[in-house]
Amino acid sequence: MLIFVVIVIDYLLFMMMYSYNPVYSLLIFIVSSMIIYLFFRPNKGLTWLLLNSYKVDEKIVIEDILKQLYHNSNNNITTNFLVNALGYKDAVIISGIDKMIDSDLVYFDNDFFKLTEEGFDYAVKIVRVHRLWERYLAEKTGFDKAEWHGIAERKEHETNEDEAMELATQLGNPIFDPHGDPIPTSTGKIAEIDSIPLSGLAIGEVGKIINIDDNPEIIYKQILAENIHIGSQIKILENNSTRVTFYSEGEEFRLAPIVAGNIKVFILKNQEEIQDKSIVRLTALNPGETAIVEGISKESRGDSRRRLLDLGFVRGAKVSIDLVNPFGEPTGYYIKGTTIALRDDQALKILIKKD
Amino acid sequence: MDKITIKNIIALAEELRWKIGDDFHDNLAEGIYADAAEIVEDAIISKSNKTARLDNKIDRIVTSRVWGFPIMFFILGIVLWLTIQGANYPSAMLSDFLLGDIRPVLKSLASGVGMPWWLSGFLINGVYLAVAWVIAVMLPPMAIFFPLFTLLEDFGYLPRVAFNLDYLFKKSGAHGKQALTMSMGFGCNAAGVVATRIIDSPRERLIAIITNNFSLCNGRWPTQILLATIFIGAVVPASMSGMVSLAAVFGIAVLGIFFMFFVSWALSKTLLKGEVSTFNLELPPYRPPNFWQTIYTSIIDRTLIVLWRAIVFAAPAGAAIWLISNLNIGDQSIAAWIIQYLDGFGFIIGLNGVILLAYIVAIPANEIVIPTILMLTVLVTGMQAGEGAGVMFELDSVNDTAAILKAGGWTVLTAINVMLFSLLHNPCSTTIYTIYKETKSKKWTLIATILPIIMGLVVTFVVAQIWRIIAN
Repeated sequence: MLIFVVIVIDYLLFMMMYSYNPVYSLLIFIVSSMIIYLFFRPNKGLTWLLLNSYKVDEKIVIEDILKQLYHNSNNNITTNFLVNALGYKDAVIISGIDKMIDSDLVYFDNDFFKLTEEGFDYAVKIVRVHRLWERYLAEKTGFDKAEWHGIAERKEHETNEDEAMELATQLGNPIFDPHGDPIPTSTGKIAEIDSIPLSGLAIGEVGKIINIDDNPEIIYKQILAENIHIGSQIKILENNSTRVTFYSEGEEFRLAPIVAGNIKVFILKNQEEIQDKSIVRLTALNPGETAIVEGISKESRGDSRRRLLDLGFVRGAKVSIDLVNPFGEPTGYYIKGTTIALRDDQALKILIKKD
Repeated sequence: MDKITIKNIIALAEELRWKIGDDFHDNLAEGIYADAAEIVEDAIISKSNKTARLDNKIDRIVTSRVWGFPIMFFILGIVLWLTIQGANYPSAMLSDFLLGDIRPVLKSLASGVGMPWWLSGFLINGVYLAVAWVIAVMLPPMAIFFPLFTLLEDFGYLPRVAFNLDYLFKKSGAHGKQALTMSMGFGCNAAGVVATRIIDSPRERLIAIITNNFSLCNGRWPTQILLATIFIGAVVPASMSGMVSLAAVFGIAVLGIFFMFFVSWALSKTLLKGEVSTFNLELPPYRPPNFWQTIYTSIIDRTLIVLWRAIVFAAPAGAAIWLISNLNIGDQSIAAWIIQYLDGFGFIIGLNGVILLAYIVAIPANEIVIPTILMLTVLVTGMQAGEGAGVMFELDSVNDTAAILKAGGWTVLTAINVMLFSLLHNPCSTTIYTIYKETKSKKWTLIATILPIIMGLVVTFVVAQIWRIIAN
């Protein structure tokens, strides 16, 4: 094989030496680099797409169908629904369903598919692995939030029960994934969350964001771009059919109701739990002002969070601006007798109370 | 304990964990941190922070909009100028001593004990010459650059540079401190790679390691200056040639910085996006540097370690250079065969077989690339210059050097492409070894080695084709 490649290269070089023309060689170069780009560009390269379309693993199809049935237990699921939701070919879905009926994972109920008890347990296991992976990606790697879901979608099919157990232990048996969805335990126990969509709150109500849905991706990316954080307290200022406006951590956010619907909040009724309105983000601090650190947002995770704690950004610490950068970022904060420079995306996740 | 009790305990633990909730770990850790902070506050009485205010005054100047950048360029410019200019004299002295005084002594000693010509040639003209060469050209600049740099670091100025430039590096997914490791790379890439230890965020550190090679190092500055003087300065009127050749060298260095940013950006978006990233930059108070200790540690820790690694790799390279030039297969030397074989490919990318072979055998040190090219050119053209097959040499006269290169078929295009290839090729073996030591990963070492070569081949290829299209 290698010898063959060497011979081909030798031949090409030989040809080029005797009939060399810079225009042709540049053209050959441009065309071949375009082909390489088309085939091997990250994620969207033709090679990966082709590989994926040929490699329809039955296990993956079955597990994807199980998840659809689990997440849409209130809807009436038909083959059409599955084809639309999953993007597999009809024949693939149908043969998957056949297999599942044979092995007692699903049954027909008035032309609609339903999960059997066995199928339900299987689905819960897949959901558990998916959410454990998301938690792992959030805590232990540097992947961007928008990529967690896609990676977990792949990993959930490759992880067996022992590996899931190990993952859970490594993460300290977490109860929630980074989006705020509960992670089922190995015995199938699921934390119940008492939440309503942000768009369902009345004006003046105060809540705490406990879940941001990562599906559909377009809406999730909009929410990410707004710098809305899980764990933040919010107060509704306006809620009508065209927009939802709310106050959180010193800033006002405006969202379309369809976007706001993907944010779930827990309504706070207990006055003691409701934060002071003067709690803002560190980015709101101006030169010359001093403030007390109130805490670090839930959105700061893993090593990043520990590093901030190490540097002294803990509840009760005094902070002020020491240095402003010629480019505007990062800013030098004076804390515990030293100057620490932080970028804005970090300072956004530190909550303070101005003096 | 019997199994049932253990099971019960585990069940109880599960139950409790459930009740405590998910925030428990975080809250506990934060509580401990907050308590510790409180205890410190109660127990430690600090003097009024007068020094902190003075620090702040200095900081306001060195990070100001108006003065920040001029001060930075001025200081880094001085350091580079001192290194390049200051190293000339001791380098010449070392070279006179090791090559001019010691080598004849070794030679007469060898012939005194009746050593056959091939053994003395192999040992003295091959191994010894390469080692001596590397010491003479490498030691002085490093012995000047590292202490100066370490003094600036100790004083506390360098973190301010990182602070000023962080925004630019953030745009390409890197850390502000990469400005420092990059500057260190202008002295020596191996030392630059070691210096990335100051970046404690894993992803940004890898970026800094892989892209350090795009800083034109000490071993490559002389190549750039020589070629720019001979070929690029010559195409403009003599009154401007100095300026133009200087601008060409400067342009290559700036191009290196551009590639550094570009590759950093590309890596952070592709290969490295999963690595953990934690930014923070401490701006420690200024303090007078501990002068002698700094000099001592920078000479021992940085200079000598790097030099030792270079020597270890230079010795076999010297042996290889001598052997390929003196061993014959059929009617010509191995070197001539390889050059003949590489000439076709070399032509396509605007170089030639001699240059490619020189870059292959001179992997241990960029310093010996030009001497090897000169020796090989003489070998294949059969000119009367140098000291014979396998003996690297350099000429004092720029005109004589130019004559040899032109006899070897060099044009302005060749010179430009060698300058580009000198910027964009694999790191020297010392740096490759250092990258392996620092990353402990074959994968990243391989990427750091291969990536610049591919870029170099592509860039020289494209430049050669466009040059030829325009020239015709």
